[in-house]
Amino acid sequence: MSQSIFELINELPTSGVTVMSLKALDYIVPGEWQNISGFENMITLVTGESDQAMIQQIGERAITLYNDPAEGYQRAVWLYQTANSIGGKLGAAALANKIGESVSFLSFLEKITPKADKAQAIDFSIKVAAEIIAYAKINGIPGDGVAEFMGAVGDYGKESIMRLAALTCFDGLIPLGPDFLRKIEEFISGLVPNDLTSNPAFSAVSSMIPGGGAEGQLGFVQQGFNSIKGWMGNFVSSKGITAEGVVGSLKNYIDIADDKLDYVAGFLDATTNYFDYTGVQTVGRRLIERAVAEI
Amino acid sequence: MTMTKYLLRTALLLCVLFVSLTACKKEDPRWSEADKKSKEAIEAKKQAQESGALPKPEEGGSFNKFFPKNEPGFEMIASQEKTGFAEYKLKKDGKDLAMIAISDVANNPQAADKFKSSTKMIGGFPAVDQGSTATAVLVGGRFQVKVLSRDASFSKANREAWLQKVNLAGLAAMK
Repeated sequence: MSQSIFELINELPTSGVTVMSLKALDYIVPGEWQNISGFENMITLVTGESDQAMIQQIGERAITLYNDPAEGYQRAVWLYQTANSIGGKLGAAALANKIGESVSFLSFLEKITPKADKAQAIDFSIKVAAEIIAYAKINGIPGDGVAEFMGAVGDYGKESIMRLAALTCFDGLIPLGPDFLRKIEEFISGLVPNDLTSNPAFSAVSSMIPGGGAEGQLGFVQQGFNSIKGWMGNFVSSKGITAEGVVGSLKNYIDIADDKLDYVAGFLDATTNYFDYTGVQTVGRRLIERAVAEI
Repeated sequence: MTMTKYLLRTALLLCVLFVSLTACKKEDPRWSEADKKSKEAIEAKKQAQESGALPKPEEGGSFNKFFPKNEPGFEMIASQEKTGFAEYKLKKDGKDLAMIAISDVANNPQAADKFKSSTKMIGGFPAVDQGSTATAVLVGGRFQVKVLSRDASFSKANREAWLQKVNLAGLAAMK
């Protein structure tokens, strides 16, 4: 195990491109995400508790729960971190690919980098799979039966809903355009198991993806996307989210010199870690909620 | 040009090294000790459960049926379900009011200690208040049922009332 949960939360930066880019999405999910700094602050914010002895007990129980590998919280953090770093790597490749298309002397990059849209679709679908698996690692499968479970999933809020908003905007809408869900669906449904096993992004997280082999795992990734696309399509239309609106909001926080959406997407991918950042916050919140109930 | 690039790279490398070194050295005295102790505690608990000195916790799913789910005007949303733990969120008009949790103290035996000095009973079981947001009962010496306020309007009296809506007798009869 690398870091404890209090270190992970204490070390979340309170400024920088990730924080600014999340602030820029506040208009989509108003008040849900907060720039929380420090483990104690998070305990107070989650529980509303100000009694220091109680905060100490909650923190100690949360640390113990996190440190027990059997509880699954560490695996969830690993998934958020790994799926995030994959995004960064693919982002760099996608940016290089775009340069390759427009600058002739760099055209050799075409040969070693994937098409940007393909890289993006893989990045997106793997983040979706990681989100689903991490959810189960953190929360179990709560409720008696399917209806209660769907109610639990439908109650996404705080940093979790912000993560899905960022996934929608930064990994879908901006890089792939308004019909991003259809584009991703086309790509994902056309995959064969070999596409996945030869993909470095998939390889990094494959040990955590259920399915008992590449074919089953491909099925999991496809089903994962299918399970989220309806929700996400409705999220975009009901809130009237557009790429231009998001970029306009980003410009209030970050100096974006270029309006070309591909470059904005590549820039965000290479410079932000929203998936990891909000993932650590989600794990922290759930641990604290459980800890205060168990002490 | 080459020299500039070289210097730039060296500077970048130094930055990365500096950041990673400082990141590794960050200590938080309030939690570092607990972090170290927790690893021993996890191992000790595992061994105690394997030897039978400590009971194995019940499945969290086995607690679901004891939660109050049909209270008109209120919503109960399943929140977490782990070994020895199940938690629901109580909502009204879309607002979070409270969390209601059942936990098996086999997961955290010292949680039962505070009930030894309990001065009141709720639903026939020893009860305690914790901090400013929590009220709990210990059922059958084994299961802790706790209601946690998540909104200022949800008072201690509300917590006590909702504790009694949990099927405490059913939970006590479990096992």
